[in-house]
Amino acid sequence: MTRTKEQIMDDVAGILRNFNGREYSGDIDSNTLFFGDLGLASIDAVVLGETLEEHYGRKLPFHLFMADLGRRSVRDIPLGELVAFLHQHLNASTPG
Amino acid sequence: MPRVTVEGMKFYYQQAGEGPDVVLLHGVTGNMAIWPLINLMPALAADFRVTAYDLRGHGYSDTPPTGYTSADMAGDLVKIQRALGLGPMYVLGHSFGGVIALHAALLYPDAVAGLILSDPYFPGLRHLETRVSEWSGWLEYKEQANRAGLEVTEEDWFDVGQLFKQTANLPPGRHEMFRKELGLAAMDRLTRLAATTCGDDVKAVAGLTEDRIRSVRHPALALFGDSSPFLATCRYLTENLANCRTALVPNAKHRAHEENPPAYVALVQKHLREMAGIAQPQRVGGAA
Repeated sequence: MTRTKEQIMDDVAGILRNFNGREYSGDIDSNTLFFGDLGLASIDAVVLGETLEEHYGRKLPFHLFMADLGRRSVRDIPLGELVAFLHQHLNASTPG
Repeated sequence: MPRVTVEGMKFYYQQAGEGPDVVLLHGVTGNMAIWPLINLMPALAADFRVTAYDLRGHGYSDTPPTGYTSADMAGDLVKIQRALGLGPMYVLGHSFGGVIALHAALLYPDAVAGLILSDPYFPGLRHLETRVSEWSGWLEYKEQANRAGLEVTEEDWFDVGQLFKQTANLPPGRHEMFRKELGLAAMDRLTRLAATTCGDDVKAVAGLTEDRIRSVRHPALALFGDSSPFLATCRYLTENLANCRTALVPNAKHRAHEENPPAYVALVQKHLREMAGIAQPQRVGGAA
């Protein structure tokens, strides 16, 4: 099943709108920062990874995403980069 | 979401790899996400079955009001080990996680195969650490706390409970300062711990006296930042534990795993392989 980046952005925004009981009423788009804007913690990124795997029904190499995040001097990430990561791996021919 | 329940309490955990068991313990106010963030979990999963969980009161684990001493949390560790069917485990603990790891080796010697003590500070060895306020990073730490609207003094450097309470009672005018410096998530987790006995419990010796610390005979590695505030503890462990090696992470202070992740991961990998009798690859690395 191919999903466009726009569809994936909608999926991610839908999940983060009410993430494990924490509601977020502001705009969520590709520029929204995971930590700075949404106020989420690093552990939320791990749990979001699992939530997305369940949502898409397949394993995704989130350890690569986490390690990339960990290497950044400013540890934050715009959702657009998460969407690009998902787009790349969801549309790869073999499950990651 | 993988959770393991022990005595009615839920702990969030992640597991990767196959092989001898390694369990990773974060420090107070942290969570298990640090291990995938620094790439330690995937690196170790090549040789070991690696389990990382959120301590009680942290991350996605439950937050009981009490029970945060190293003895209590060593109990959590072995109960989680049993519930997940893990064998004798190599335990890596950072900071208070290291105190929990050593306490587990003392209380449940057969459950633990070896220890990696990553920059721990032991309440039972507090008399060694009289010069923390002279530590090179002290001023930086103090300034960061001030920018976040908190006050730390040289007398209460070891009192995290103070920081929890100050955060929970931050005047509204200082919320923005805190958010800018440490982030909203930090405010949530310190406020959450302020409602528990964690702050007092982690200062408690809780039976882990100096005599009992030095009685531990498990294979151990004292792994400290080369500019750690706790190098007196590092020396003490090296000289007094029966079977303890030392490694210093270059260009690192108390949080060596975050300050120099590639060097930290490589050292942990090398020493865990040695402890477990796993051959080192020709070219040591995989962490860079």
